[in-house]
Amino acid sequence: MRMTKVFVLAAAMAMSCGPIFSQVPAPSQKAIATTPSTDTATKPLSTRIVAYQIEAKLDPTKHTIAASETLTYKNLTGQPQQTFPFHLYLNAFQPQSTFMTEVRRSGTRGNGPDSDWDPKHFGSITVDKLEVEGAGDLTNKLEFIHPDDNNTADRTVFQVTLSKPIAPGASVQFHIVFHDVLPKVVERTGYVRDFDMVGQWFPKVGVWWKNAWNCHQFHANTEFFADFGTFDVKITLPQNEIVGAGGDLASSENNSDGTKTLVYHSEDVHDFSWTASPSFTVVEDSWTGSQGPVNIHLLMSPGHMASAPRYMKALKGSLQLFDQWYGPYPYDRITVVDPPHGGSDAGGMEYPTLITADTGAHMPQGLLAPEFVTEHEFGHQYWYGMVATNEFEDAWLDEGINSYTEVKVMDAIYGHNTSFLNFPFAQLGETEEQRNAYFSLPDMDPISRFAWKFISSDSYGGITYGKTATVLITLEKIIGEDTMRQALHTYFMRYRFTHPTGEDFLKTIEEVSGKDLHWYFNQAIYGTQILDYSLADAHSDPVKWWDTSAHGSKANAKDEVYRTYVTVARKGDFIFPVDVDIKFDDGSAAVEHWDGQDRWVRYQYDRKAKIQSAQIDAHNQITLDRDPFNNSFVKEADPRAVHKLRTIWVFASEWLSQLLAWLT
Amino acid sequence: MAATNRGTFFSGAGLVWKWQRLVWWVFAVCLIFGFFSTQEMTERAASLLNHSMAAQRLVNGFDVGAITELLQLPDSPLAIQGHNIVHFSMLFVVFMLFATGGILAAYVLDEKPTTTAFFEAAGHHFWRFFRLLIYLAIVLLPIAGLAAASNAIHTHIDEQSISPYSADHFGEAAVVAILMLLILVRLWFDMAQVIAVADDEKKMHRALRRALTLLRRNFFSLLWLYLRVSIIAWVLFGIGLHVWMYHVNPQSNVAAFLLSQLMILIWIGTRLWQRASEALWYRDHQANQAPEPAWSPSPAPMYVPVAAEPQA
Repeated sequence: MRMTKVFVLAAAMAMSCGPIFSQVPAPSQKAIATTPSTDTATKPLSTRIVAYQIEAKLDPTKHTIAASETLTYKNLTGQPQQTFPFHLYLNAFQPQSTFMTEVRRSGTRGNGPDSDWDPKHFGSITVDKLEVEGAGDLTNKLEFIHPDDNNTADRTVFQVTLSKPIAPGASVQFHIVFHDVLPKVVERTGYVRDFDMVGQWFPKVGVWWKNAWNCHQFHANTEFFADFGTFDVKITLPQNEIVGAGGDLASSENNSDGTKTLVYHSEDVHDFSWTASPSFTVVEDSWTGSQGPVNIHLLMSPGHMASAPRYMKALKGSLQLFDQWYGPYPYDRITVVDPPHGGSDAGGMEYPTLITADTGAHMPQGLLAPEFVTEHEFGHQYWYGMVATNEFEDAWLDEGINSYTEVKVMDAIYGHNTSFLNFPFAQLGETEEQRNAYFSLPDMDPISRFAWKFISSDSYGGITYGKTATVLITLEKIIGEDTMRQALHTYFMRYRFTHPTGEDFLKTIEEVSGKDLHWYFNQAIYGTQILDYSLADAHSDPVKWWDTSAHGSKANAKDEVYRTYVTVARKGDFIFPVDVDIKFDDGSAAVEHWDGQDRWVRYQYDRKAKIQSAQIDAHNQITLDRDPFNNSFVKEADPRAVHKLRTIWVFASEWLSQLLAWLT
Repeated sequence: MAATNRGTFFSGAGLVWKWQRLVWWVFAVCLIFGFFSTQEMTERAASLLNHSMAAQRLVNGFDVGAITELLQLPDSPLAIQGHNIVHFSMLFVVFMLFATGGILAAYVLDEKPTTTAFFEAAGHHFWRFFRLLIYLAIVLLPIAGLAAASNAIHTHIDEQSISPYSADHFGEAAVVAILMLLILVRLWFDMAQVIAVADDEKKMHRALRRALTLLRRNFFSLLWLYLRVSIIAWVLFGIGLHVWMYHVNPQSNVAAFLLSQLMILIWIGTRLWQRASEALWYRDHQANQAPEPAWSPSPAPMYVPVAAEPQA
C-alpha cells in the first residue's frame, strides 16, 4: 500500500482527455489459453499450500457478491491440524469492529481520527454454509475469535474445529458458501458509482507460521498475510462490465441472461482480487524481461487518460529495473487499475499481479503522483507478492523495503532531485520526501513494532515507510550502493515465495556486506532513538588572548597563533560514528573521526590560522540525521537564505492584508 | 455614458497618480506591518541558518525539502508565522477602515490631501465605515450560504457523475457566479462609502439605499468601471508571479524583494484607482443631475482643508 498524498491542484489547464488508446468494448475480453492448475509441465515456483476454486456472481447495482469457495488445504505444518482459522476481512467495515474502533481512535489512510460513521461504508462477508469433506456441515461450529484484543463484536476472524485432525502431508477440503456486501469505497475495497474494487473478499485461511497459526484480526494499520497456492476463479457479471483481475483469463462466455462468465487462473500467488466497471478504457501493452513477455493491462477511468502514458512509463521502468537489480519477474501479466474520481480510497494498493494506482483529471506534470504510486505498488510484487512477509507483524519488511527501492527506482527514472516534485520553481526528490515522512513523528514507535500497535496512523506511516527507507538509504552509504543492491538481490532470490522474518533480512545484509551491523540495526530497527549530531561550537581565539598589544597589529598578524576549538555534540540518542571536516583560513584542513559514543567531543588546534568552517558528515552519508542545519558552521555569516525566506513571508503577509482589506 | 466612463476610468488613474502619496502611505504601512509580522521568524531563522552550510539549499533555489525540514524541526523558526501574520493583517484591516475616509475625501474634493485634512476626514468617517462593515457582514451571510449550497451540489454531482468534469464545470460556474456577487456587493458598499463622504451622509442605511439605487440605474457602467481595474490588477499580479517564479535568478534576493513589493504596490494602486474612479463617477453623476452644479462640499463641513502645503 502506498499512503499517497495526492495534491489535487486547481490546475490552469484542463487536460483534454481524448483517448490516447482505442476503447476496447466490454464483451470481447480475450481469453488466454492456459491449462488448469493440474498442469505439471511448469515447475511450481512456490510451495502450494492452498488451492482456491471460487465461483462468484456480482450484482453491480446492489454491489453484492454471491459466491461459493472450495479450498483445498495441504497440511505441510508437520503436525496434525484440527482447528483452522480464517480471515473475513470485509467484516471490518462495521462500526463496532476492531478496525473501525481504531480508525475512530487514531485514524488511518484517508480517514482522520474521530471520522463519523457513514452507513454507506458498511461492508460484510457472511458465511452461509461451511462443509468439510469427510466431516459434514460445520456451519454451526464456526466461532469468531479475537486473538489480538477482547473485542467480541469484531468478526474478522473465525475458526472451525474438525472432528478429526488432518494428518501431516494430507489435504482437507473446505466448501464455503458466502455472500459479500461491498462498502462504498473505503480502505482499498468497495464501490463508487459503477466501479467495484473487490479485494479481500473471500474466506481466507490463516498461515501456519513459527509453529502456530498466524491469523490476526483486521486492524486500521494492518494489511495481509497468506500462503501461496493456486486460484481458479469464475466471475459472473453483466456483459457490459470490463474486468481486471490478478490472474490469466482462461475463458470468457456470454450467458443468455445478459451476463457473462469469466474464468481466471493464477498460480504461485497468495491472493486474488478483481475489479469491474463498464466505464474503463483498456490500454494493452507488453514488456519483455529476463523471463519473457509480460502482458500489461491498464484499466483507465473516465477523465484520466492523460495519465495513461505516465503510468506506462513508470511501470515499464520499474519492471526493467527490478528485473535488472533484484530478480526476475516471473508472471506473464500485470494489471494496473486506475480508480475513478471519488475512488481514491481504492487507489495505491497491491495484490499479486494487480495493482491500483491513483491520479486526477487535472494532475500536473510536475507532481509525480501517478508515477510514484505505480512504482510503489509494482514494487510490492516483489516485497509482499513474492517475498511474502507478515504484513501484520513485520510491515516494514514490505512497506519499508519497498519505500527504499521506490527511492532508487524513481531517482533512476526521473532524477535524484526531481523524483517527487518537478516544477521549474520547486523540486523535491524521493529521498527528501521519505525523510520528511519519517520526521513528522519520529520517536514514538520502533520500526519493528507490530503494525496495529503503533500510537497512531501517522506514526505507522512515517516510521514504516519513511524511517525504514531512510534507514536503508543510510545503510547503503555505510556498506556501498553495489553491496546494498547485491544484498537485496540475494534476499529476494533466497526468500521469494516464502515468509521470511526481519532477522532473515538483516542477517542477509550482514552476510553479503561482511560487516557486523548489529550496532546499527539495534538502534535503527528495534529502537526509537533519534540521530542528531550538531556543531555546538567553533571559534578561534588568540593563544595570548590576554596580551592586547599583540592583537590587531599587522606586523604581528602573520605570526599570531590561534587556538581553535571545535565542539561536536550528540543531541539525539542514536550513536553513530561521524567525520568532522575542519577548514582554516590559511587553506589547511583537518578531518576528525569520532565514534559518537559520548555526548560531546572537543577538538583543539593551535595554528597560525583561524577557523573558516567546520562540518559534520561533509559527504552527506547520514541521511538519518534529523537536523542538517546544525551540522555545520561557517565563520562568515551568509544571511541570503534568511533574506529569501523573509521576502516570501513578507509578501505573504502583505498579500493576506490586501485580501482582508477587501472588507473595507 | 461610455465616453464619460472612459473619461472616468483614465481620470481615476490620473487622480491616483496626482495624489500618489496616498498610495505610498498605504504601501508603507503594509510593508511595515509585513516586516513586523516576520521579525521573530527572521531572528530565529538567522540563528539557525546564517552560519550553516545547509542554508545554501535555500539560496540556490526554492528547495521544498529544505523548507519542510525546517518546518518539522522541534523548534522550527517557521512554526510561529501563522499567528503573527494574521494578527498584523487584521491590524492592517483596521488601519484601512480608518484611512479610507481620508482617501475618499481627497478623491472627492480633488484637493491635495494635507495631513490634517486626511486625519480629520479619516476620523470623521471611521465609525460610519465601521457600521458599514457590520452591514457588509450581514449581507455576506446569504452569499456564504449560497457558497455552502453550491459546495453541496458540487459534491452531489461529483458523486453521481461518471465523468469528473461535470462537477468541475459546475464548480467553475458557481465560483464565477459567487465571485460576481461579491464584486457587486463590494461595488455597492464602495458607492455607499463615496456617498457618505461626498454628501456627509450620517445614516449608513440611507447611504446603502442610495448606493443600491445608483447601482441599479447605472449597473453596467459602474460594474465595468470596477471590473476592468480588477482585471488589470489580476493580470499584472499574474505576470509578476510568473516573472518571479520563472525568470528571476533564484540567488537574487534584491530582485525578488523589489519585484514582490512592486506587485503589492501595483495591487494597492489599482485598488485606489477603483476608489478614485468611483469618487469621480459620483461627482460627475451629481453634476449631471441638476442645472446648477449639484456637488459641493457639505454645507457645514466638519473639516476644512488647511492651506495647501508648498509643493516639494
